Amino acid sequence: MFSITLSDLLYRRRQFLIATLGAALVFAMTLLLAGLTAGFGVEITQTVGGFRADAWVVKAGSSGRVTSLTPMSDAAAALVARTPGVTGATPVVVIPQTASVDGALQQVNLVGAPVGSAPARQPLTDGHQVAGPGQAVVDTRLGVGVGAHVAVGGHPFVIVGTTSDRTLLGGIPNLYVGLRDAQVAAFEGARIISAVVVTGVPTRAPVGMTVLTGQQIDGASLDQMATAVSSIDNSKLFMWVIAAVIVASLVYVTALERTRDFAVLKALGASSGSLYAGLAFQAVLVALIAAAIATLLAQFMVGVFSQPIDFPTSAYIELPLSAVVVGLLSSLIALRRAVAADPAKAFAG
Amino acid sequence: MAELEVRDLTVEFDSGGYRVRPLDRLSLDAGGGELVVLLGPSGCGKTTLLSCLAGLLEPTDGTVRFQGIDVGGLSGAGLAEYRQRTVGVVFQAFNLLASLSARKNVMVPMTLAGVGRKEAGVRADALLERVALSERASHRPAQLSGGQQQRVAIARALVHDPPLVVADEPTAHLDHIQVEGILVLLRELAAPGRTVVVSTHDDRITHIADRVIELAPQFSDADRPDEEVRLADGAVLFEQGDRGDLVYEVVEGAIEVYRNRSDGSDEVLAEIRPGNYFGEIGPMLNLPRSASARARGAVVLTAMSIRSFRARFPATVKEARGPLG
Repeated sequence: MFSITLSDLLYRRRQFLIATLGAALVFAMTLLLAGLTAGFGVEITQTVGGFRADAWVVKAGSSGRVTSLTPMSDAAAALVARTPGVTGATPVVVIPQTASVDGALQQVNLVGAPVGSAPARQPLTDGHQVAGPGQAVVDTRLGVGVGAHVAVGGHPFVIVGTTSDRTLLGGIPNLYVGLRDAQVAAFEGARIISAVVVTGVPTRAPVGMTVLTGQQIDGASLDQMATAVSSIDNSKLFMWVIAAVIVASLVYVTALERTRDFAVLKALGASSGSLYAGLAFQAVLVALIAAAIATLLAQFMVGVFSQPIDFPTSAYIELPLSAVVVGLLSSLIALRRAVAADPAKAFAG
Repeated sequence: MAELEVRDLTVEFDSGGYRVRPLDRLSLDAGGGELVVLLGPSGCGKTTLLSCLAGLLEPTDGTVRFQGIDVGGLSGAGLAEYRQRTVGVVFQAFNLLASLSARKNVMVPMTLAGVGRKEAGVRADALLERVALSERASHRPAQLSGGQQQRVAIARALVHDPPLVVADEPTAHLDHIQVEGILVLLRELAAPGRTVVVSTHDDRITHIADRVIELAPQFSDADRPDEEVRLADGAVLFEQGDRGDLVYEVVEGAIEVYRNRSDGSDEVLAEIRPGNYFGEIGPMLNLPRSASARARGAVVLTAMSIRSFRARFPATVKEARGPLG
């Protein structure tokens, strides 16, 4: 039966090709959405990891979301440094800001850390690390290179280096500056910090503060994106449904066109089950080919998105498995056609 | 003992809410090696009979036995096995799968029966050679003439060397040259060990048949005197599905023309009063009666032949009157 089905598929290759490409586009979108969701987590992990901290000391009651930590006095750094188990304490500022780039306003995440400190040093793609006031290193997603001028809160910076994979909040680039520069730009010079990142393992937190691990910061920051992730996941579900509708339409039209063939095949001894198996085979094959095309297509479509997209390995496993499910569900729509085929109808002239 | 035995075969089905009975208590026998021709006009039940022989249609009543197998008693795997191995079917419209080459079309029944690809290919090649189509084996149906398609269909019907071959109007779509080739082939197939049953409305095929079965009785067109018929109240003159050669004129009383609905009720179509006639369509077109007729009160009728009817009602013969006959 499968060889007969395969021949039919080749015979109707144009309509199968159209449906396959349609399903492939939808599958590619699904893959991209999966990448987008994963991207949120990856950018947080990369940025938080970039601070090279063993723990974060933040104001008690703070959510732990890296871009919205409750501000506190930078005197906290000295208190934290004296906490048993701490080998290094670095005050940092992390706060979303609007930057003026060649007169255009763009969102950035302003990250301030003492010049030369571990949190201030990011892997560079060009230029050098921040070495003094008025200098900044920025993620390449801001679209500016070394030597460009950027203003944050009216405070001018010159870009001395660029880095990559340092974004938050869905692809918003981080702008790394000196701690004092960050306080001037964001807090009109007030000596406020977002957190103290420490090396070593603090045995307790100073009064009014709490200790969080990097994973806790990651988790809390990802929670911030929960609504966006949920929306994307829902969109992904719709994409699967759309793909199923496309494949189902194809299989149903094919079944309609093959009503006479089904009657003849039954007259020649085919069972309803084998006819359905043939339809299911066609649907699954179309869905799997579409999934394979989608895998390639998605790589080319990444550039369309400004957000970081990271295709997790699980997406490549999930896609073909889901394609099989989509194919099988789609073929159910034609099940009745196969079962109801009356072999006596083969005699109709 | 006959290879093929059909006893009191009745098939009844619903058609647009009405009960239709294309076969009514039909019986026939055929021996091995015989070419049996079922002759009759469209609608006389030829295809319905073939469907029953092929195990594609379950009769309402009666039996079909082939080589001792009660075809109506088969189901599931047994029925599939019968369709695959015992009977080969040649359809009027060829019914080849458009997506497959001639060779693959011939291989289909073997594929369905689980025969290996190589073995099926060898068998298909041999059969295509037998029907003189080896050189067209790789062509799809759309690239073949009607006669060639029918030969492929015959080759397909023979793949399992079935002892029964049924062919439904196998020459209907063919020109006379193609007809000749197909008839010669069918005649050759009817050899010891194989019974071939062919339905047709073309009586030229009867000349090569071993047995001719007329499914629609031929009524004489010869003139015969009109007869008076008297019916008591409620007496049925004829029933829907009956065959008859007489037209009736109401002399006294009234006749009710009605149809049997699928739900068992009757639908009255007309009441025929004195001076009016009914029952002319069936005899004129050699079709079964499309409605029943019964007396309403005591009735006197004049029964007449078609020739007499034409003579008495020359103007009205050309009028189509609908289901009154």
